[in-house]
Amino acid sequence: MDGAAPLFRMEGISKRYGGVRALEKADLTVTAGGIHAILGENGAGKSTLIKVMAGVVAPDEGTMTLDGREVSFASPAAANQAGIVCIFQELSLIPELSVADNIVISDPPKRFGMIDRKAQRRIAEEALARAGASDIHPRALVKDLPLSRRQMVEIAKALARKPRILILDEATSALTAADVAKVFEVLKRLRSEGLALLYISHRMNEIAELADHCTVFRNGRNVASYPAGSKSDNEVVELMIGREYSHIFPPKPVGVSAATPVLEARNLSWADRLDNISLTVRAGEVVGLGGLDGQGQRELLLAFFGVLRGLRGEVLIDGKPVSIASPTAASHGRIGMALIPEDRKTEGLMLPMTVRENLSFAALDRLAKGGIIDRAAEQRLIDDMVGLLAIKTAGLDIPVGALSGGNQQKVVIAKWLMRQPRIILLNDPTRGIDVGTKQELYQLMRKLADAGAAILFYSTDYDELIGCCDRVLVLYDGAVKRELVGDGITEHALIASALNIHGDNSRIDLGAKV
Amino acid sequence: MSETTLGGIANRMPKFLRRADPAVLTAFACIVILLLLGSLYSRSFLSPEYLLQQLKVASFLGVIATGMMLVILLGQIDLSVPWSVATGAMMACAAAAYGPAGVAVAIPFGVLCGVAIGIVNGIGVAYLRIPSMIITLATNAVAQGLMVVYTGGFSPQDSATAAMRYLATGFTIPGVPNAVIIWALIGAATVFVLTRTSFGRAVYGIGNRERAAYLSGIDTRRVVMIAFAVSGGLSAFGGVLLAGYASKAAQSMGDAYLLPSIAAVVLGGTSILGGRGSYLGTVAGVILITLLQSILSVMQMPEAGRQIIYGVVIVAMLLLYGRAPASR
Repeated sequence: MDGAAPLFRMEGISKRYGGVRALEKADLTVTAGGIHAILGENGAGKSTLIKVMAGVVAPDEGTMTLDGREVSFASPAAANQAGIVCIFQELSLIPELSVADNIVISDPPKRFGMIDRKAQRRIAEEALARAGASDIHPRALVKDLPLSRRQMVEIAKALARKPRILILDEATSALTAADVAKVFEVLKRLRSEGLALLYISHRMNEIAELADHCTVFRNGRNVASYPAGSKSDNEVVELMIGREYSHIFPPKPVGVSAATPVLEARNLSWADRLDNISLTVRAGEVVGLGGLDGQGQRELLLAFFGVLRGLRGEVLIDGKPVSIASPTAASHGRIGMALIPEDRKTEGLMLPMTVRENLSFAALDRLAKGGIIDRAAEQRLIDDMVGLLAIKTAGLDIPVGALSGGNQQKVVIAKWLMRQPRIILLNDPTRGIDVGTKQELYQLMRKLADAGAAILFYSTDYDELIGCCDRVLVLYDGAVKRELVGDGITEHALIASALNIHGDNSRIDLGAKV
Repeated sequence: MSETTLGGIANRMPKFLRRADPAVLTAFACIVILLLLGSLYSRSFLSPEYLLQQLKVASFLGVIATGMMLVILLGQIDLSVPWSVATGAMMACAAAAYGPAGVAVAIPFGVLCGVAIGIVNGIGVAYLRIPSMIITLATNAVAQGLMVVYTGGFSPQDSATAAMRYLATGFTIPGVPNAVIIWALIGAATVFVLTRTSFGRAVYGIGNRERAAYLSGIDTRRVVMIAFAVSGGLSAFGGVLLAGYASKAAQSMGDAYLLPSIAAVVLGGTSILGGRGSYLGTVAGVILITLLQSILSVMQMPEAGRQIIYGVVIVAMLLLYGRAPASR
């Protein structure tokens, strides 16, 4: 690949979402006949980069050149036309249609205005053969195929569009080891046919096996680009961490209490998302959940809160087994649990309703006598909360949607504090809010723990886990892989265990089975 | 801060204006315009007798639309209104045929039959997760079938009890029809429930964002269930009043109340997607719809023309403000 003229080049690409910069003057060069791996931690800008390439989002600035000519894509269809095809993490197949229908869905062959089924079948067979999946029948319905076979159909569908650049975004995460080997053969053959492949994966061993060239992203910028195999895993992790954040965290208490756990899980499993999870949270303790995005952390919190059906395993409160059937059961009565949900706009708040109505919404049963709301008591409690959390609002009777993101998040937290919960589950509570408010939340979290609350805290920001938590459980593929305690919680250990590399500074290794 | 300036302007406005929904004001303005247009045609449109008569006719729709509003606030819809109305009327009249005891329980029995239909709707929507549009249409068909079996397809011969007639046509307070008083009482109760109780808050919460309400520990299924039961009961009560008004029940007497009850709620500024709306708006919507129907019939417009104008006016008004976006 050395010396080949670049097929595709991105220069100075920037993209902002609101006040958050997702990409900042990012560059990328792709050559034909090579496999290019892209690495980076959560929110480093990888996904945005791919979306810009595939025409899903338009960049704010920067240029893209294909074959030396400047291009811009108004839509994914335009990018497809130019030969850039993307296979996304989430499957894009329609389950009720046949494999052949799915493969040609964007541009079916036509005869007299009708779909030419013979030609369609021929195209599908060719594409499947090229993807190394000729054992899949083109007329089979997608819903009848197992997940790993569907992923092969997805690859065939991409190949049927005759791509010059093929992007695989976590495309192997759903595959079994045997299928991964098969996909790798296909990818290597495609490389020898002169395609450019962009490969995004969190599995370091896959990258080591496959990639010719690697680029590391951090904070929306490409920080390093090097030929594959020229850096050790540890060096790569160093590159991914960087040193750019600075948060102020409250001091942690010394010594962990030995009280009975307030919240305990034993062998908790759910569908294929949670795998035999056991954990304990004591009063006064802040326990973090780490790991890459989407490794089962959200499901775990929802499982505790009684949202998931078909849960296996045991949940214990104060050492006694309980069955929590709904959020009502979780939050009311003796259990006293609160969940600060992931998305405050759809799960935490009713945006068009007033600040007042939102604040008292979770505590209505406590504020009402015989179903009638005691407005004086409501006002007292709301005043307390607005004071405690320093919520900035132009009044209690304006829609909560008019508040800033940070203040909205405070309202979500305040509405649960009105119930004085003993167990607080936080699902990435600082996402999309300003640094000042973040700091206030860190202080508040520690204050609540000191007052005796048991806190389970999921964050995608490793600095937060390091700064706030007494212990961190790192999840991978729905299972707890490692538990980091006290000074053992370092960025290096977090990232290494999140990527499931058996690094040297991990204290306790629970990753016996993979 | 723009928040502060906006708040400041709002604070300087008189309280009733600040709180009033523009849609509600528009609806009341439309009522005034309709009356003025009518008065160009005939002076009698502004006479107290005519207005009181219209208010009495409106109160039947008002009772039915109250239940519909609860359901629409949840973001659902109740299409079982026509035969809930007819079932309430027919069952109340049927009970009256069973001697003095039957006469005594006629009204509660009719209402309870409507509540039963509503509970079936509620179970379907809340627990079985069937879209309300489907389940309420289905229960409507079932109720219709049951009533046809009961009556043999003819107008039932039982007549309304004296109590039913008194409620619909009598006067407890001189000059004010009982039906209007009943509507006022039901309306006052609804306003109280919607604004002062945890049930009312939950209704608005679910209508705005069911997931957020559920994750806040609200028993959303129970709330949905109760709302449908109340809607069924109020539809049947509307039927009982109509039977009292006409002295007897009739086949398809409820058919004329489905579209008007939905239209009244939505014209009154309640979002068809749920979560937003006030009872005052529904009152305005009910009066507006009733006046429109009355004026078109007084003008001796042929039936076909009336239907066309009626439909066009509803669509035009919905375009005007029914689609206003919620604050995001």
